[in-house]
Amino acid sequence: MHTARHGLSRRDALKLAGAAGLAGIITVYPGRRVFAAADQSLNLAVERTRITIDGETSGAISIGGSIPAPTLRWREGQEVVIHVTNRLDEGTSIHWHGLLLQGIMDGAPGFNGFVPIGPGETYTYRFKLRQAGTYWYHSHSASQEQEGMYGAIVIEPAGRDPVRADRDYVVLLSDHTPENPENVLRKLKVSEGYYNNNKRTLVDFFRDAQRDGLGATINDRLAWGEMRMDATDLADVTGYQFLVNGKGPRDNWTAVYNPGERVRLRIINGSAMSIFDVRIPGLPMTVVSADGQNVVPVKVDEFRFGVGETYDVIVMPTEDNPFTFFAESIDRTGYARGTLATREGMEGEIPERRPRANLTMADMAMAPGMDHGSMAGMDHGNMPGMDHSNMPGMEQGSMAGMDHGSMPGMDHGSMEGMDHSNMPGMDHSAMPGMKQDATGSKEQAMGWGDAGTPPGAKALSYADLKALSKTTDLREPTQEIEVQLTGMMARYIWTINGQKFEEGTPIRVAYGDRVRIRFVNTTMMAHPMHLHGMFVELENGQTDRMPKKHVVLVPPGQATTVQLTANEPGEWPFHCHLLYHMASGMMTRFIVEPRTASL
Amino acid sequence: MRLNARTFYTAATLLTATGLLVAPGLAFAAPGEAGHKHETAAIGEPAKATAKTRTVQVVMGDNFYEPETIPVKAGETIRFVLKNQGEFLHEFNIGTATMHASHQKEMAMMMEHGMLTPTGINKNMSGMDHSKMGMAEMKHDDPNSVLVEPSQTKELTWKFTKDTALEFACNIPGHYESGMVGKVEFKR
Amino acid sequence: MRTTTKSLQRATLMAGAIVVSLSVGSARAAEEHQVEQFHEEPPILGTLLIDRFEHRWRDGENSIDWDVQGWVGGDTNKIWFNAEGSKPVDGEVEEAEFQLLYSRMTSEFWDAQIGIRHDVRPQPQTTYGVIGFQGVAPYFFDVTAQLFVSEDGDFSARLEAEYDLLITQKLILQPVAEVNVSAQRVEELHIGPGFNDIELGLRLRYEVVREFAPYIGVHWERKLGETADIARDHGEDASDVSFVAGVRFWF
Repeated sequence: MHTARHGLSRRDALKLAGAAGLAGIITVYPGRRVFAAADQSLNLAVERTRITIDGETSGAISIGGSIPAPTLRWREGQEVVIHVTNRLDEGTSIHWHGLLLQGIMDGAPGFNGFVPIGPGETYTYRFKLRQAGTYWYHSHSASQEQEGMYGAIVIEPAGRDPVRADRDYVVLLSDHTPENPENVLRKLKVSEGYYNNNKRTLVDFFRDAQRDGLGATINDRLAWGEMRMDATDLADVTGYQFLVNGKGPRDNWTAVYNPGERVRLRIINGSAMSIFDVRIPGLPMTVVSADGQNVVPVKVDEFRFGVGETYDVIVMPTEDNPFTFFAESIDRTGYARGTLATREGMEGEIPERRPRANLTMADMAMAPGMDHGSMAGMDHGNMPGMDHSNMPGMEQGSMAGMDHGSMPGMDHGSMEGMDHSNMPGMDHSAMPGMKQDATGSKEQAMGWGDAGTPPGAKALSYADLKALSKTTDLREPTQEIEVQLTGMMARYIWTINGQKFEEGTPIRVAYGDRVRIRFVNTTMMAHPMHLHGMFVELENGQTDRMPKKHVVLVPPGQATTVQLTANEPGEWPFHCHLLYHMASGMMTRFIVEPRTASL
Repeated sequence: MRLNARTFYTAATLLTATGLLVAPGLAFAAPGEAGHKHETAAIGEPAKATAKTRTVQVVMGDNFYEPETIPVKAGETIRFVLKNQGEFLHEFNIGTATMHASHQKEMAMMMEHGMLTPTGINKNMSGMDHSKMGMAEMKHDDPNSVLVEPSQTKELTWKFTKDTALEFACNIPGHYESGMVGKVEFKR
Repeated sequence: MRTTTKSLQRATLMAGAIVVSLSVGSARAAEEHQVEQFHEEPPILGTLLIDRFEHRWRDGENSIDWDVQGWVGGDTNKIWFNAEGSKPVDGEVEEAEFQLLYSRMTSEFWDAQIGIRHDVRPQPQTTYGVIGFQGVAPYFFDVTAQLFVSEDGDFSARLEAEYDLLITQKLILQPVAEVNVSAQRVEELHIGPGFNDIELGLRLRYEVVREFAPYIGVHWERKLGETADIARDHGEDASDVSFVAGVRFWF
């Protein structure tokens, strides 16, 4: 879409790369280009502060004096200059999440020659905006992001915005803990289940036995026990306060509207660890943009929101009523809440909380060497209504990404009970009665993908996303890269292809190549995978309108494929955006090598 | 079994919806509103192109109109020349906000059933014998509306009889919400 | 940096002055960490668990018993520390065992361990070489298996397993079992060849917070075979039941 615009810098990059010769890694990018005067210049200081949420005060770090950091409103095509001053006693950095820019300006320490901004130092970022949309910025150092270093970026398009709204609000979600993030990581390493206060107990056992039968319950517990896995492991860290624009549920951030207006909400998941289910009861949302990129508008009632993703939605409240913006973390330990109202001080109703899901064996379908014989423990008899032949709403096309052939040792014969609810493209509303039957009871949701969406309500799935602009590079990928999302939950070690960042092999692609990345999630947790420097295009069933994403949420036990054109030379961080997963190894280098290197 | 029940259910819904859409005299009425005839008259009426007072060109993009405001006088007959420069199917529909809201539901239904695709009108579907499916009368043929496929130009001539709050809008799912709507501004 | 860490660990192991120098090393590593880049291998961590610190009431003399474990290190390599012992409420320490092990991750759920064990009590003090493994077996059993060779060349082994049964999120029932085996008779330790003893415990703890839990329970141990005979010859009971109350806490 913006190819014409950044053609020049690409050529420059190539020239630079050529000059560098064979190095392979573009560290020759010292930002020595002579820029014209910047269109926008600002100073941002990073400093320790305190934040008060719902009356509780705790330590935090701010950028530009506030949490969240100031929203940066820019226009496509502008050259911006940001002077970042570090007033901490440790190194810091700011990464411009989702922006296309020169490697060193990306702000990830250890990549593209960027070094942390030392205490007392000022670093000047300078880049030209080659895109429009909603993005965000955050620290890429240690766990500073968790402590409050995040803010929104809104870039107006150079031309006409295909979306017109009367009001425009940033809704930045985050999770705040009064604990020191380093201590959080230590506790996870020492005792992985430390923060899980919803483990299965004897009380649950008896309840399940009554519901599913004693034999089935025992078998189920044995199956999990044999794998040494925990069906309740939906989030690693709890004790969070969930924030909307820095405000807790009681502080109640409010967006004001007049009835009949179009309100654009630029929703950003700036959490360290929390995946949300987002809804505004009574108000359907029309998703017009995903990860800053325009999509064909799609009307939904709710969506699952991976860490690092952004969605722009339009809502049109016609009545003079307060509406509650409600984002429940998927482990259901809390929620972020705000209000859309015709004036400040109004409060909408807090909707009924959704049930917490238990993971199912399907959530580990990709686990290596998984013995499906042991899935006998899942009593399929208890899931009447899970007859797949009766699911008219199921789109096989959107399951193209699932290559069953590559699941070693998987016995499909024994998988009738598999919970397909989290396959993108499956429209639950089209399966009358299924949910109730399959879950057995309302308090229990089954499988990671079960958000507890009521029948008839529409939850966004990746298959619904369709780029507003046509895919420009329709070449068949020449290289397929398998990225296994791996880990040792019990030790809190998270890896890519079984390797921690510092021991891993970088991924190398040639400049200009079209490549396919196939994420295979062998773990029981979802991983929002983020690539710096370039958008990936989601293979979600669209042929010529693949949506562009900078974060792809890969559900547990599933494979997701994306394509990209490697048109940004450099060595880019490629990691899970769950902060403590990245910190414990789930990151690699994605190196786009100049063609000259292979000559 | 389940499949059949479902088909029956959706067919029934469709019937209800299309019934509302095409029933004579109810054509422009929002459900539950009284005085349909009166409202029909209020938004104006279709006219022959030859009866035009003047011509207004409207360009359709993805997903917006240019211009977004059209000044008219009560009693004026305007020939709209509608040029779709976008890559998606768009509609030009003159009505009140309430009418648009109810029309959006019908459009969503047509889209869901493949009669309309994001980029065009499904000719195969239109030619199909829908009577068996209970959809015999499901058509997009309201006089106050015209569908324009990408890179096509179509016309609609309309007589604005009375000063009332009117919008021209595209009711293809999601388009209205994302701002594909303009104002008919009555001048004295 | 990783090599530094590793060689540091190795050096420390050899020197034996573990905890102090490692904490120095960790500070230095953290500095380098910042200068170099972030998202490096996580810094060296440590934990200390006082698994059992309890009062035992029994028919004979009541006692205070403890079981402690801790480690310092990274994901792969750790220095592991175990200690257990027993002291009559009104008397001298009767048993006090310390272990210092190098622990290395061998798989997702298992660590292989090698190191030394030193028993301060009973007298005479004995030093052992230890090799074993520690980890989580299927069905969530925490298992420790160790093989010992004493300075006199005597072989013995120990197998310990425990399980946490959650009654609620905070109320946890923990069964524990331990068996000791000896390859030969060791006169001064009053043990015979074969199975020496078996211990079974059942403790119910309430985790006020994860780090702190008071508990109550029962502990039963029985000497077996020749070891039992030796005990009886010394006028002791071969089996022993006690009620226990204590605290479990960790840092």
